[in-house]
Amino acid sequence: MDEKTKTELLTLFKNKLNRAMRYYLDTCTRCGVCTKACHAYASTGQVRYTSAYRHELVRRLYKKYFKLQGKVWPAAGEAKVLEDMTIKELYDAAYSCTGCRRCMVYCPFGIDTQMIMSIAKLLLVGASTEPELLTMLADMSIEKGKSMDVFKESFLTGIKKLEGQVVEKWRSEAGETVIPIDVDGADLLYVALAGAHSIIPAAAVFNAAGEHWTLSFFEAVNFGAFVGDPTRTTLILDRIISEAKRLKVKEVCICECGTAFRVMKHLTGPQPFKVSSITEVQARYIREGRIRLDKSIVSDTVTYHDPCQIARNGGIIDEARYILHHLTDNYTEMTKEPKYNWCCGGGGGLVAMGEETLDFRMTSSSIKADQVRKTGAKILSTACENCHTQLGDLNDHYKLGVDVKFLSSMVADALVR
Amino acid sequence: MSEDIKVEKVLDLKGLPCPMPVVKISKGIKEVEIGQVVEAITTDPGTLTDFPAWARTSGNEILKTDQTGDEIKFYVKRKV
Repeated sequence: MDEKTKTELLTLFKNKLNRAMRYYLDTCTRCGVCTKACHAYASTGQVRYTSAYRHELVRRLYKKYFKLQGKVWPAAGEAKVLEDMTIKELYDAAYSCTGCRRCMVYCPFGIDTQMIMSIAKLLLVGASTEPELLTMLADMSIEKGKSMDVFKESFLTGIKKLEGQVVEKWRSEAGETVIPIDVDGADLLYVALAGAHSIIPAAAVFNAAGEHWTLSFFEAVNFGAFVGDPTRTTLILDRIISEAKRLKVKEVCICECGTAFRVMKHLTGPQPFKVSSITEVQARYIREGRIRLDKSIVSDTVTYHDPCQIARNGGIIDEARYILHHLTDNYTEMTKEPKYNWCCGGGGGLVAMGEETLDFRMTSSSIKADQVRKTGAKILSTACENCHTQLGDLNDHYKLGVDVKFLSSMVADALVR
Repeated sequence: MSEDIKVEKVLDLKGLPCPMPVVKISKGIKEVEIGQVVEAITTDPGTLTDFPAWARTSGNEILKTDQTGDEIKFYVKRKV
């Protein structure tokens, strides 16, 4: 690695060193409590997948370049020089971590591995060694924001074609817009994914609840966050924030996408609208009597996988259970304490990287497959696109024999007219 | 196949949700030579905006888009 690159990377590193990050990097006592918290370690037994090992790769660079001890007596501080090999190790650490933060809830000091891995991911971006695919997807999202006028007609055409499928789930009144778009002054802006499955059930439920809503032009997922690029993350976020402000909505509702929810909820700062997950919104409709669900629709035993970014990292735990208890009397938990639920193994951009990560995703998540199998459930419900894809892959790979379903789809299918 | 476009490779992306169609076309386009065309068949309406945005950022060209029923066909020319 040349000196210019090294200097640039260390500048990126330094910019990440806020008070919280320094605390995380200064504090680890290597107590080992986090060791078994990682699904990848629990599934494979490989030490490189323990949280402390991942931290240490970044921490040793921190000691070398940002701590006096590492500068004057590097051997004692276990300081590490930034070189090409280090970049490869950082890649292995960052892209085997799903950012689920299960280790964080076990750590007595609350050390946030995902935040530490954000340094690793940023250094990879700086060294142009990040997964090219994720950057490509992030750039595609940004381009849609820049050139919306060019893509608008195609988008409207595509959405129009979905209306019939929405009406099949909830019949609209004459003259009512089935999928409203660009509605100035709407109460709620729904930000979906770029797929019919993310729009049709949600639209049916909004219409059933009599919501004054409008569909966003943009997809919710933030590939910039997956790749750990703050600039791209912000550009992707800004598209939605600008749209919400332009339409003067009171609430931005994020579809079943864990990362999209976490980023919009926690990284946008104060805004003139509140941010909700669709799970929260649908639970609210049930609570307020705006929708009713038919329990006879779901007859098989149901279990629920908590998406890490929505549950453990987003606090949306009880709402999913509230919905499920209105959907079925045959609900079974997969864990006593949802906050400690195992990650599906697909987050952090791993699912978006597709077949490239499939082998790792399967071997690193056998513990999740075991957990699902032990429930005996026939329906595995979840509220995140990444989790849904990963759980589907686990279902095929480990022959779990479950039907993986989106929670919002189950709600839409059970609507009482 | 479109009558006036010579297709080198066909990608069946029907039923794939976001972002897999774009992931597959970005890989598939590299499997043909520059100047050749890939026909990508999708069913996800999100691809109507995803594909043009991807083409712009990747430097490739969408020659034509056909919609028949639920199917969307993109004819993508590799330019880079």
